[in-house]
This record gives sequence, C-alpha cells and structure tokens, in this order.
Amino acid sequence: MKIGLQNRMDSLFNRHGDGRAICVAADHGYMSDVTPNVVNLRATVEAVIAGGVDGILLSPGQALRLAPLFKGRDGPALIVRADWMNMPRLGTSNVSNAVPQRLLVNEKVITADQALSLGAAAITIYLFLGYSDKIEAISIDKCARFVNECRRAGLPCIIEPLAYGGQVTGANIVEILTLGARMAVEIGADALKIPYTGDVESFRHLIDISAVPTLVLGGARSDNERDALELYAEAHEAGASGCLMGRNVTKSPDPRKMIEQLCHIGHQDWSVDEALRGEMWDFVRLKAKPTLCTGCDLCVGACVASHGSGAYGIHQARLRIETGSQPGQHRVLFCTSCKKCIDVCPTHALRWHLKNGAVELIPERCDDCGKCIEICPTQVILRSETGISFEDGHALEWHPVICDLCGGAPECARICPTGAIFITPRKDFTPVLE
Amino acid sequence: MSSKQYRMSELLDPADARSLVVDTSRALGLGVLPGLEHFMDAVKPLLPLLDAIVASPGQARALKPRTRKEAALLVRADWTNALRGEDFVLPAETIQYLPLLDPVDALDLGANALVMYFILGHEEEIEARCMQRVVNLALEGLSLGMPVLVEVKPVGPRVVLRDKAIELGASFAIEGGSDGIIVPWPGAASFKTILAMGKDLPVWVGDLNLEKDTAVMEEALLLGASGIWLDEHVFALEDPAASLQNSRTLVHGKAVR
Repeated sequence: MKIGLQNRMDSLFNRHGDGRAICVAADHGYMSDVTPNVVNLRATVEAVIAGGVDGILLSPGQALRLAPLFKGRDGPALIVRADWMNMPRLGTSNVSNAVPQRLLVNEKVITADQALSLGAAAITIYLFLGYSDKIEAISIDKCARFVNECRRAGLPCIIEPLAYGGQVTGANIVEILTLGARMAVEIGADALKIPYTGDVESFRHLIDISAVPTLVLGGARSDNERDALELYAEAHEAGASGCLMGRNVTKSPDPRKMIEQLCHIGHQDWSVDEALRGEMWDFVRLKAKPTLCTGCDLCVGACVASHGSGAYGIHQARLRIETGSQPGQHRVLFCTSCKKCIDVCPTHALRWHLKNGAVELIPERCDDCGKCIEICPTQVILRSETGISFEDGHALEWHPVICDLCGGAPECARICPTGAIFITPRKDFTPVLE
Repeated sequence: MSSKQYRMSELLDPADARSLVVDTSRALGLGVLPGLEHFMDAVKPLLPLLDAIVASPGQARALKPRTRKEAALLVRADWTNALRGEDFVLPAETIQYLPLLDPVDALDLGANALVMYFILGHEEEIEARCMQRVVNLALEGLSLGMPVLVEVKPVGPRVVLRDKAIELGASFAIEGGSDGIIVPWPGAASFKTILAMGKDLPVWVGDLNLEKDTAVMEEALLLGASGIWLDEHVFALEDPAASLQNSRTLVHGKAVR
C-alpha cells in the first residue's frame, strides 16, 4: 500500500488507535432541498468537531469554505463527496421537492487529485444498484475510474452502495446491499459506507465478505435518538469500523452530544444506555419511585417479552406491580439485589454474575430446596415451569427464576414511561470469583 | 489578502461591500439586444456608474481601455439556449448548456471573476453539468485566484416551488464552491435563508425591473444583499445613465460625479 494511502486511512480510521471512526455526513445541501441542517451547516460542523468526531463528509464547496475548522492534529479528517446525484429529489422520495426529478443522475464531479488538493483524507462515491442496468453500469464505470485515480493519488476511496429503484424490494434489499458491498470491494474500494441491513447477523455477514473497513450510515432521521444509537450499536456489534451518519446527527437538537454518544459506543464499547446517560456503570441495580407508577404494567410486559415468555407468560415476569386504589399507591416489586437469596442458599448455587452483577444461578449446584423463594422479601423469585436434565443423569424438576437485570440493561427500566422504575449504579460493588 | 479576495474587492466597493452590476452577456445566446446594437457606444459611458459589468468573451476583448474608475470586468463562462423564449427566432427545442471559458482564459482577459449559470428545472443532465461546472471552476479558480460567481436560473418547466427552487440553486452554488451568488428575488423569507446559508458570500439580487422593482431592491439591500445585478434591459431605457445613477444611489447611498 502506498504510504500516502496508508497515512490517510490512518488519519480517518486510526485516530484512537482502534481502527474505528465516528464520522458525520454533512453533504446534504449538495443534493437535497434546503433544510435547516443545510442552512446552519457551519454551526453543526463546529458542534460535531467539539464532540470529537473523527471525520466529516462535505461537498467540495463546503470543504473550501469550512477548511479552517479542520486545522490541527486533533482536527477531524476531511472526506469529500466526489460525485453528485439527484436521488433525494426524485418523485418517490419523501422530500417535498422544489424542482422534482424524473430520472436518476449520478455524475463524477471532481478528480482524486482535486480532492487531494482540498486536503481530503478520503473521498466517497455512490454505487447505485436496483434502479436500472444502465445506471448500475454507469456507477460501476465511475467507481472503477475513481478507484484508479485514487490509487495513483494515494487517496482512500470509500464506495457507498445504495439499493434504490424498482428492482429493490423489502425481500431482496439485504441481498442487494451485500452484493453491492462485495462488488465495491471487487472494484477496489478501500472502505465502504453502507446502510444497515436491519439485523446483526446479516450485517456481520456483509462485513465478513467485504473485508475492508465498513462505516454504517444512519438513513432518514428518527425522532428518537435512541434509534440511531441502537442502529450503530448493532452495527458495531456486527463488526463495523464506525459510522458515517448524516441527518441523525446534523438534524439532532444537540449534534455535539450525539457525536459524544456515538464515540462512547464506537471507541469505548459502551452500551446504548451508558452512552445515553453519559456514564459507564459496570454494575446497576433497580430502583423505584412508586409515586410515579401508573400501574400500566408495561414493565411486566417488557420483562416477559425480553425473556421469551410470550403473551401468555405474564406469570413468569420477574417483577410485578401490586395495584393500589389509585395512581401513586401502586407497589413496584422487583429484585433489589439484597443478597438474602445468595446468603441462604445451602449449596452455593447462587452468586453475583461477574459481568453484570445480577444474581446468577449455577444449576448444577441447585437442589430445588426453595429457600431462596421463601426468603425473597419482594417475592419475585419464581419456580420455573420446566426442569433441567444434566449429563451425569441427575435432574431438577424446577429451578429458581431470578431477575438477571437483562444482562445489565433492564428492559423494565428502559420502557417505563414515567421513570417509576430506573437504574442506579452499584459503584461500591465488586463481584469476586469463587 | 489572497488574489481571489483582491479581485473580489475590485467589484465589491470596500466601503460598504456592495456593488451595482450590469450583465450584457445574454447576447451570447440571444444575439442583438435592444440598446446594445453598438456595444462599446452603449456601454462605455456607463462604466463609471457601475462596479462591475458582465461581458461575453468576445465583448470582453473589446472593452478596452478601461480606467481604474470604471467597472470591473466579469466574463460569462458558459453558453445556454435555456433563456430563449418561445417567440424567439430559434426557440430551444432541447436545452443545451456548454462551458466556454476556464479560469486561465479569464485571467488572459484580465477579468475579475467568471460568471456562470446554474439552470434548474430542465433535464436532470443539465443540472448535473452545472454542478460539475461550479465545482471545477471553483477548484481551478482556487489555484489561479479567479473567483466564480453563480447565477441561479430557475427557468425550466419543472420548477414547482419557485422560492424553494431559488434556495436550492443557491445551496448547490455554495456546496459547489462558488465565491458569490446571484439570485432572482425569492421573497424575504427565502432570501434570509439564502443569506444564512451563504454567510460569508456576497449575494446579489438579479432579474429586476429597474423601473418597477425599487421596493424589492430596497428590501433586499436592507436584508443584506451585496448589491443589484441588472441585465441588458437597462440599455433599452430612455436614459440608462440616469436610471443607473438612481440605482447607484440606492446601492451605495451616493451618486457618481
């Protein structure tokens, strides 16, 4: 690999030494109708830089105008949009268009050398799939030319496969994106910018067959910031090298905070909950403010749903609401991590989970004595409906079912609309290995 | 000061950062324009009243000698038949758009800036070509210090929302790297949006009727327009010099001589 290419790849993907990059796409004014994020671009760019963004995608013109914001070794890498298209203004898009477009046009606008002269660390170009054979061929031709130019210039070429057009259906979009990813790599992409396929497994497969750094894009803005963070967290779990998010950041009420949250997920492996609260807690415990409880039972539903108990499994919920005569008088009962069950167990079958701090059952040690159930002050330890058979021949007819804090991010607290159930840190808690 | 800023300072009065510009270059696509049959005779007396004049490459060569008190020279960098009306002798059956000059040519002509159209509302390919053109002129002009000014023309049949189309054209010009924008008056709200988008860029208001649009000119200047961009219709007026004196007073708050 040319040293220039390697250096520029590093300036984008290795600012933190982890091979990951949290980037923002701020090139919408280049292709879409004018929206507030386009009008206030400078302020947005300043905000995301303050948030620690690793790279910013800009049009050539904005790269010229906003160049001073990128200064310094701590400054973000500049990614330049090297082609132009009118897809957001086509009739089928969700934008109310000032000048509606009928045909998709995607044209090369600048050369790799010109991008290099702007100070770019990489360029991004589209690869359209699913619109028509002709557009696909034009896209391939354009990408291949760019790749060659970029190789000569030592500039990383990020190809963005997009599944768009009449040939794309809900049933084949994942397959088309995977096809696009692989075709882009075959052409010579140094990295990919690609939409999320919708689930971790299919995205992991896409990344696996691509074998180049993959940045997930965010798509249309969601009203709920958690959605964008979860999308990225899933892509991160699948092995993405980062994100190149646009409207979910630039249209956010607080772009800086959004970038900080994405950076925590991408660079520090925080969970979405940790990123949202801006603090990493190793261990949590559930707390309640009963006066806020409306008795809606959403927490109970979330508990059974997250543990696969199904619609008929309410009695298997690991928490319950004892309904009072009016709102504010309901009792919220859940595992308080009081440790009484662990202490009373005669066979040491219960212990703190080493990673999330919940009570964990070691089934091999359990002898169905039921003492944990008897001692639980909130009566939220249940008897399982099925038993367990072990390889050595012995079996349990039932076993205790105890709150597992959903692995450290309890669904009941997440879903509670009034904040009646919430989590707090267990900062003084350190589980020890037996 | 960069050479680009230097050239821009010759067409924008440093005292108030405004300018009065007249565009004569539509003759490139429309031929003889009323009042401009004899170009030099018509233009020369008006040059001291103007901050800049837009000329075709051919007329730019004819515009000499110019003194420092006369208008700066801007050259038209492209050709199109999109501005021809249906009653024109050769109405446009298909819209054409061609590049004519690059920054090296403009330097050769002694121009202060290149001016190009951004045509909206016709074939998608025309838009794409305009975008390519802005970016390329901006990047080529960067090394030569030659500014590119983009004139937004929402003239095609597919312009649905005129004000939004003007905003879109301005946005495209900014994203493409233009050093200044000329827009038809889109209404106060859209004009404010354009000014916000192009915070550090000069924005002129064009396509104005010198006799009827005085109120619009005043409003535009009050909101922050960098000046007025007039077309060849000035030369068809009974007394172009008097009209331009009035416009100059409006723009700069002072007359010349």
